[in-house]
Amino acid sequence: MEILIYGLINSVNLALIALGFALVYGISRLPNFAHGALYVVSGFITWTFLRRLELNYLLSIVLALVIVGIVGALIYRFVLIRVRGMAISEIIASYAIGLAILEGFRWCGFKGLTYTLPVFVPGSVLIFGIPVDYHRMLVVGIGAAIVAFLWFFTHYTRIGLALRGMAQDERAALMLGIDSDLMAVVAMAFGSALAGLAAVLLLPLGNIVVEAGYNILVLAISVCIVGGLGSWMGAVLAAFLIGFAQILTVVYLGAHYQMVVALLAIILTLIVRPSGLFGRQKELEERV
Amino acid sequence: MLEATGLMVFYENMLALNNVSLQCGDNEIVGVFGANSAGKSTLMYTLSGIMEDIRKKEDMAGGERITVLGRIRYLGEDITNLKPSSRARKGIVLCPERRRIFSESTVMENLRIGAYLATPAQTRETLDYVFKVFPALQTLRKRIGGFLSGGEQQMLAIARALMAQPRLLLLDEPLMGLSPLIQAMLVRATSEIRREKSISIIVTEQYARPVLPIVDYAFILENGAAVLEGGREELLSNPDVRSAYFGV
Repeated sequence: MEILIYGLINSVNLALIALGFALVYGISRLPNFAHGALYVVSGFITWTFLRRLELNYLLSIVLALVIVGIVGALIYRFVLIRVRGMAISEIIASYAIGLAILEGFRWCGFKGLTYTLPVFVPGSVLIFGIPVDYHRMLVVGIGAAIVAFLWFFTHYTRIGLALRGMAQDERAALMLGIDSDLMAVVAMAFGSALAGLAAVLLLPLGNIVVEAGYNILVLAISVCIVGGLGSWMGAVLAAFLIGFAQILTVVYLGAHYQMVVALLAIILTLIVRPSGLFGRQKELEERV
Repeated sequence: MLEATGLMVFYENMLALNNVSLQCGDNEIVGVFGANSAGKSTLMYTLSGIMEDIRKKEDMAGGERITVLGRIRYLGEDITNLKPSSRARKGIVLCPERRRIFSESTVMENLRIGAYLATPAQTRETLDYVFKVFPALQTLRKRIGGFLSGGEQQMLAIARALMAQPRLLLLDEPLMGLSPLIQAMLVRATSEIRREKSISIIVTEQYARPVLPIVDYAFILENGAAVLEGGREELLSNPDVRSAYFGV
């Protein structure tokens, strides 16, 4: 039972972490290696608003998400757009930006364990005899809501449909008047805001530390590779796979093997099924 | 409506389009015929602005050096340097070679993605219209694009292009690889669309015969150059053309 409940929570956390990465990659084929940095940035921005400027918690979160979205859009508009379509350069450029941000924070003195965000709702409840805090339950609820929202957004709104069109065939989208550069900026803004959202949801459970940026990046990448790069439904599924695998390792092997699971998952996927669980258009291509 | 003068396109040193000039009047269907690699698709990409995008990307990646020369005027305005999305906004919509359906989306989603530039009212109206012209699509609404047959995909591609509210529709080899029956249906639909939507159409094909009955004017491309042009009757009576392109 413990495994089931904490596996579910861990899976939703992973899905939240990976969705932003999956979204950006799915739409503009950009492996956003600054994802982890944007995650940490959101934490620090929220912390600054909340603790330094003493704003309302909700307001701080909303402001932080908006700012991170804009930062993501700016990064894309002024840097990444120039290396568009060159996978290696995109990785190097975005990783460099991520490194600069994270190490910049460390250099500015944001380190140690003093940076924390409060949980949304304190307290916990017993479910089948296992204590689960309200905050974790809230995160699961919000995570499900976000997946539902994304599904609705990409199936029923004009921008969402345009993004999906571009994800499938950029040139065909161009012919229909969809501005691919603009859409890529929009996607990056969305992806960054999603990274931010994951941050404000998950960081209250621990400390805001620079190192989290690297871990988050590795987790996001492993979930996306297992799920099949570019498919975010695959990412959600892979989040559950890795999420439960991690909890099982924690229970039967020990907590410090958690990260190994994620990395092992990457290696296994690349050996067994390089396109991931839901590699793009795999079946379709085989049919033709 | 559209007037292109002296179009030249180089891929590195290879000349793909050689000084091609072409006009298309209001509510006209203009045919462009030529063999494989004669430059038909290059011409369509140049007119729709996709070539600008390809050139930019190749340039950025340090790939092939593409040079585009010449001028394109559309509705009295020079559009030579506009990017493809702005041209689509002005009404130049390309229905590309090999259709390029969004293969993971359903038929309905393909159409709604196509309606990116349309207002909600236009979307509704055009949806009704395309289901009238291609009734087959109506029953396939929920089908995934990639699982459609070639003919169905072509109908979808044309319908999707119509959703973008074109004033000048560019059809690049719409009949390629389809059965004569479907070809005849698509040709009929094309002329119907021209009449009912009062738009202009430029259509390219390898074989002129199925399309010729509906074109007003046609160009023949050979190795990137427009070697012949004329009205339908004029081309039909030219013995060289008859033997080379109509298979007579």
